[in-house]
Amino acid sequence: MSKKILTLLFALILLILPSTLFAITAEEIVKSMDALATYDTSYSTGSIQTTDRFGTKESTFKAWTKGTSESLIEFTSTAERGQKILRTKGSLYLYYPDAEELIRLQGAALRQSVLGSDLSYEDMTEEKTTLNDYTVTLDGSEVYNGHDCYILTLTAKTRQVAYPIQKVWVDKETYVTWKGEYSTSQGRLLKNMEVLSVMQVADRTIPKETKIDDAMKQDSSTMMTFDTLQINVSLDANLFSLENLTW
Amino acid sequence: MKFILQLAMKNLSRYKRRTIITSVAIAFGLMMFIIVDSILRGAQVESVRNLRWYETASLRIYDSNYWEEHYFLPLESSIKQPDKVMDIVKAEGLTATERTTFAADMILYSKDFGEDGNMSVKITAIDPSTDFDVYRYPDTLIDGRFLEPGENDGIVIGSWFAEDIGAKVGYWVTFITQGNGGFYEAFDMQIVGIVNCPNPNVNRTLIMMDKSAADSYLGMDGAVTSIDIVLDEKANLNQSAADLQAKLDQAGLSNLQVLTWRDLAQDYIAMVEAKQGGSSMILFLVFIIAAVGVSNTMLMAMYERMRELGMMRAMGMRDRDILFSFLFEAGGIGMIGATVGIALGCLVNIYLVNSGINVGFMFRDMDIGFRIQSIMRGAWSLPTILKAFFSGILLSMVVALFPIRRALKLDIPTCLHHQ
Repeated sequence: MSKKILTLLFALILLILPSTLFAITAEEIVKSMDALATYDTSYSTGSIQTTDRFGTKESTFKAWTKGTSESLIEFTSTAERGQKILRTKGSLYLYYPDAEELIRLQGAALRQSVLGSDLSYEDMTEEKTTLNDYTVTLDGSEVYNGHDCYILTLTAKTRQVAYPIQKVWVDKETYVTWKGEYSTSQGRLLKNMEVLSVMQVADRTIPKETKIDDAMKQDSSTMMTFDTLQINVSLDANLFSLENLTW
Repeated sequence: MKFILQLAMKNLSRYKRRTIITSVAIAFGLMMFIIVDSILRGAQVESVRNLRWYETASLRIYDSNYWEEHYFLPLESSIKQPDKVMDIVKAEGLTATERTTFAADMILYSKDFGEDGNMSVKITAIDPSTDFDVYRYPDTLIDGRFLEPGENDGIVIGSWFAEDIGAKVGYWVTFITQGNGGFYEAFDMQIVGIVNCPNPNVNRTLIMMDKSAADSYLGMDGAVTSIDIVLDEKANLNQSAADLQAKLDQAGLSNLQVLTWRDLAQDYIAMVEAKQGGSSMILFLVFIIAAVGVSNTMLMAMYERMRELGMMRAMGMRDRDILFSFLFEAGGIGMIGATVGIALGCLVNIYLVNSGINVGFMFRDMDIGFRIQSIMRGAWSLPTILKAFFSGILLSMVVALFPIRRALKLDIPTCLHHQ
C-alpha cells in the first residue's frame, strides 16, 4: 500500500516538476521582449500612415538607434523632409530645417502627437528598460490571432513613465508583443496597439506593421510600417549629438 | 505791439468766413488728436487692469526653473512647499492664492456636443476659497455656479470658449494629461459654470478646476505651479517684488523667483511698445492734416491781401511789424481752433470715458493684443489737452511764417499790382 502511494507521489512529482522547474517567469518574458526590441545599433526605414476623419496621410522616415536610450528619427517625406527627432538619455529634441530651429521637449509637450498621428513623441522614442519602471505579473495564456501568447500586466513603479498600466500579449516562441493595451492608473484605456505582420531580421522576429489606436479619439488610427531594418550596423559616433541634428 | 495785436484781431473779425473755415480745420484735427489719444490711452489702462484682475495678478511666484520653460507648463518645476511661501506672503500683509496650471487634451463627445472631437487646452486649477481674493471673477458668472472647494469633477469655462465649442452647463468632457513625472491620466469633468471674463485672452481659453482635484489627478503631492499675489493699484511693483524676493531668500527659498505682471505679460508689453510707434504716426498724420489746412489758408490769405500788404509797406509799416501782425492773426486762428477742438474733443471724451464704444463684434474673432473684450473706453489726459492747445497755436504760426516771408520778399509795386 505504502509502495503504491510512494509510486503515485513520485509520478505526481514528475508530472509537476517540469512546469515548476522550467516555467518562465513574467520578468524573464519582459527581459526577452526588451531584448528583442533593443539592438546595439540599428538602422531602419519605414512609414507612418495616419488615418482620421479627414483622410489618410503618409510620412516616411529613416531611424537610427543605439542601445536603450539613444535614437534619431529623420523624416524623408516631402512635407516633413529634414525634420528630426533626437532622443538622448533624458532629453528629446526636435529640429525643423525650414526654421533652422531646435526645440527641446519636456513635460506635457512630449505628449504631443507626431505629425498628427496617434503616436506621441514619447511613444516613438521610448526607452526599452521595462523592468526598471514596471512590476510585472503573468496573468495567463491566450491564443491571439493564431499566436500562443502570454498575457502580462505591467504596473508602473514610478510616475516617470507614460502609461501606468500596460497589458500585453507576448508570443511564447518569438516574444513579439502582438497586442498591447495602455491605460491610466485607474484602468482607463488610452491606447491600443496591435502587430499585424512581422519580419525576420538576423535571428529575431521583429514587428513590421503595427497599428496604434488612440482609444480616446474616434475614427483615428496610425499604422507604423518598417520597410527595412538592419541591426548591429556601424554608426557615426557623432550621430546622436545636437551638432549632428542641426546639420 | 499793442497796435499790431489790435490789427491782428481786427483782421480776424474782418475775414470771418476764412477764420471760421481755418479754425474748423484745426479744431477737427485737434479733436481727432484728443479722441485717438484718449482711446489708445484708455485701451492701455483697461488692458493693464484686465491683465492684473484676470490673467497675471500683480506678482507671481514660480520655481526658478519654471519661467524658462513656461510655454511647456512644466509640472516638474513646481513650488514644493506652498504653505511655507503662503505664510511668508501673508506675513508681508499681502493677499495670495495658489494655482496649478497644466496642459491637457480635451475630448468632446457627440452625446453633448453633437460630434466627437478633441483639442489641446490649458487648465488652471484654483483654490476656490482664496482665488477670488486675488482675481475678480465673482462678477463674471453668467451661467451655472462657481467651483466649490474640493470639487472633484467640476469645471468653469470662459463664455467665448463655451460658444466656440458649443458647450453648456451640464455637459461632460474628458481631459487627458500627463501628471507630475510624466504618467498619463484621464478624468471626466462636468461644466458647472460659464464666466464672461472681460479679458478676451482669458475668456477665449479659460478652463478652471479645483486645485485639490488637480493635485490628486496630477500627483502633485501638495505642490503648486504658482502663487499669485494681488497688490494695491498704487503699490510700487518692482519694490514689492524685490522685498518679497528678499524674504523668500532669507527663508531659504531662493529656488523661487518673484515676477511682476510686466514680466508675465511680455507679449502685451511688446505689443504696446510696437503700437506706440504706430500711434505716434497716427497722431502725426492728424497734425499734418491740420497743418496743411492752416498753411493753405494762410497762403490764400496772403495772396488775397497782397495789395493791402503793399499799401501798408508803402505807408511805412516795417516788414517786421507786418510779419508779427500776420503771425498773431495765424496764432489767433490757431487759438480759436484749438479752443473749439479741445472743447469738442472733451465733449466726445466724456462719452468715451463713461460709456465707451462697443467693439466686441471686432475683437470677438481677432486678437489685437489689447485685453479688451467689448467696450473700449477713453481716458483723460491733461498733458495731451495742453499739448493739443499749445500745438494748435504754435503750429498755425509756424505754417503761416513761410507764405508771409515769401510775400514780404516781393517789392512794393509788385505787391500793389498783384491780382
